Amino acid sequence: MSQSPADLELSLDPSATHHPEPVNTGAAQSNTTDTQIADHAPSLTTHKIEQQRAQASRLMQALRDELEKALIGQTAVIEGVLCTFIAAGHVLIEGVPGLGKTLLVRALAQCFSGQFNRIQFTPDLMPSDVTGHAIYDLASEQFKLRKGPAFTHLLLADEINRAPAKTQAALLEVMQERSITLEGRSLLVPQPFMVLATQNPIEQEGTYPLPEAELDRFMVKLHIDYPQEQEEQRLVRAVTRSAQADMLENTALRVLLQPRDMQAIQKIASALPVDDQVLNYAVSLVRSTRQWPGLSSGAGPRASIDLIRYARAHALLQGHTFVSPDDVKRSALNILRHRVHLSVELAIEGLQVEQVLQQLLNQVPAPRL
Amino acid sequence: MHLNQVQVLLRPRNSWEAMDLGILLARRHAGLLMATWAAITLPFFVLLTLLFWQQPTLPALIIWWLKPAFERLPLHILSKALFANTPRFTDSIKAWPTLLKLQLLASLTWRRLSLRRSFTLPIQQFEGLAGAARQQRVLTLTHKYKQVPTWLTILGIHIEMALWLGMVVLLYLLIPAQLQADWSWSSLLTVSHSEWLWFEHLSNLLYVLVLIVWEPVYVACGFTLYLNRRIELEAWDIELAFQGLAQRLKNSPLLIVFALLCLFPYSDTALAQSAETEVISSASEELDTNGPRLLKQLLNSEQAQQSIKQILDAPPFKTYKITKSWHFNDPSSTEYTSPNWLNQLLKQLSFTIQSLLWLLLLVISVIMLWHYRQWLRAFAQQRQPRQQYNPAPKQRVLGLEVSSDSLPDDLVASAHTLWSDNPRAALSLLYRGLLNHLLEVQALPLSTAHTEDEVLAMSQNLPKPLQCYSQQLTVHWKNLAWGQQTLNHAEFVQLCTDWQQLQSQEAKP
Repeated sequence: MSQSPADLELSLDPSATHHPEPVNTGAAQSNTTDTQIADHAPSLTTHKIEQQRAQASRLMQALRDELEKALIGQTAVIEGVLCTFIAAGHVLIEGVPGLGKTLLVRALAQCFSGQFNRIQFTPDLMPSDVTGHAIYDLASEQFKLRKGPAFTHLLLADEINRAPAKTQAALLEVMQERSITLEGRSLLVPQPFMVLATQNPIEQEGTYPLPEAELDRFMVKLHIDYPQEQEEQRLVRAVTRSAQADMLENTALRVLLQPRDMQAIQKIASALPVDDQVLNYAVSLVRSTRQWPGLSSGAGPRASIDLIRYARAHALLQGHTFVSPDDVKRSALNILRHRVHLSVELAIEGLQVEQVLQQLLNQVPAPRL
Repeated sequence: MHLNQVQVLLRPRNSWEAMDLGILLARRHAGLLMATWAAITLPFFVLLTLLFWQQPTLPALIIWWLKPAFERLPLHILSKALFANTPRFTDSIKAWPTLLKLQLLASLTWRRLSLRRSFTLPIQQFEGLAGAARQQRVLTLTHKYKQVPTWLTILGIHIEMALWLGMVVLLYLLIPAQLQADWSWSSLLTVSHSEWLWFEHLSNLLYVLVLIVWEPVYVACGFTLYLNRRIELEAWDIELAFQGLAQRLKNSPLLIVFALLCLFPYSDTALAQSAETEVISSASEELDTNGPRLLKQLLNSEQAQQSIKQILDAPPFKTYKITKSWHFNDPSSTEYTSPNWLNQLLKQLSFTIQSLLWLLLLVISVIMLWHYRQWLRAFAQQRQPRQQYNPAPKQRVLGLEVSSDSLPDDLVASAHTLWSDNPRAALSLLYRGLLNHLLEVQALPLSTAHTEDEVLAMSQNLPKPLQCYSQQLTVHWKNLAWGQQTLNHAEFVQLCTDWQQLQSQEAKP
């Protein structure tokens, strides 16, 4: 990106954006169509919306380029994390150690001037270590609430499968309700809020696999793979150039976003028009996982909702002004990967979930007009 | 046949000893046997390989099938060598075509798969029998050796395979470790067939080389088995011993006269010609042990014979054992005949059961044919030309009708007409025209699941003008279809003229 930071400073106050209709969340918002916007809104407002959309796209693309400086050779994962952030979801990143999962999250936190907390999950981690607890203050002779690390914008749950189910469940409420109940009081976490959990596919000994309910709460599951040879050469060259051990300490990343900007971008993305045909295509993709021969269990309606929200974010990141079937198709793998189960026969044959899903994507008809 | 010229010691051996002799024989003439075998098989193999370069299995199969024809030559050489008349290399090769004349068709067809091939080949080649006579002869000769030739062949198959695999593994071991690192069974199985033709031909060659070593041994073993059987049946060893005796006694006429005297009683012609006939005949009468003799003694011959017979009939000379078993009713015996009605009934019953069994067989085969009809059809269709496999062109892509029939003849004119009322339909028509072109003229493998961007990605290798046009049209189409962003009239007209230009450019060359 060639823009200077000055170009990118936006007045993206969520209260300042005027949408022609109230922005809903969940399934209801998928009824929004561009024709409705075009018909009801004055042309001046339409123009403003378009401008804001373009600005939001540029800002997110700049953020992507900035992250690519820190995490070399993982464009797909960076895009996945950004899309999830735009779509206000949570992300589960899976990969072998040493691929920069934690680095990515730290870089994102650095570009985004919100708060960032990290919890290293261990077998003896207690729920109160995540959410917080009340302690007795001797000076004031009163109980005082000490908020846990979950009260933040970006929460990195490192190696989430190392903690027992009790602690994992403490995250459930935060992820779904975006609030934490402490001492009978429900406390909201700051907005925007995103949980980035990492887990290690090998070394399964002494781990607690995430239960289905918790997996479903993650909008996407991303696979972080080894970088290409040239990318890895570039990476090693860049890191070993200085005495610093870490990439982040090498490259100074610019702060591009305020929490308020992010909330505005999330609203803009959720207002991106989706044609009914495209929405039906997304639903039919998710529905077909339920009867697909190679899958023993399919994805629920939450997957359809997340697919549309993620496709909107994807379209925004690509600079599109509407959601096309391509956005849906490209998002489907990330959304569905952790929500379906391979049938036993195929698992024995050594097939991966991705292969079966790819087959499904290649066979479900794209939308007709 | 002069038995005194035989180069081996003639004596009855057991079967394995006989085969050992065969190996010894093959080893003694190894050079000639292997050279002649190589001289007839190798050129033939090279010719087959050149002919069937694309079907690497055929040369090996044909060589294997023609083995009985090639085996006649080693057998010929061995038979000559046995009587110290070892032929020279050129003579052997010249003799081969004449050897082929005898019952070649039978050897290569219904006798090809016989496991006793090595043993029956000498019967066929040396005795030249055919039909029932051959059958009888084979029965006589194989009476004692029912299993041995079969086991020899089975052993031979294993030796051939072991040697062949050994050669392949040896070649594999000779590959440098650096090259070898990338080899794995799965990659060997999945590589395309054509890249491995040379490998298959190489393994064929190894098989032919293995045959050069093994086949003479196999033929020699079969030959000595045959020889051994004839030694046993025709007592060649005794004959040879007599011949040796005769040789030794040649120079002493007195002994010959004695021998003749000994032999006279058994010779009718001698009786007629000799002067001392009567004396001898009376002597021979006296020698007849069956008639009553020595009647004047206390113990005459009759009594003696009786007591001898008694002793011989009692144990340990003879043991009687009573065994009971079921036998088929012998029609000639009159001990018991079942009543006529029972015979009739049994006959009817057996006929019915037989008919039912045949019917069952027929029904089962019909059911099997019906059950595997798909499989059989697929099997039969493999031989048909490939054109039949080309699927009919796709009718729908992205949910649009794209077949030629569904499009108007003049696409641009129709689009122009539609434009004023329904711009969406007009652009849709243009896009369908493009898809139809990509599908039918450029033969891109489009399917219903492909989205616009995927179609665009697939058209990367197309000619530049077409690629640019598809890019423009796709952008406009997506904007209109999914973003409800209408394009203006000028852009539409531009798209139409571009399409016409493309069509005219393609029509020119």
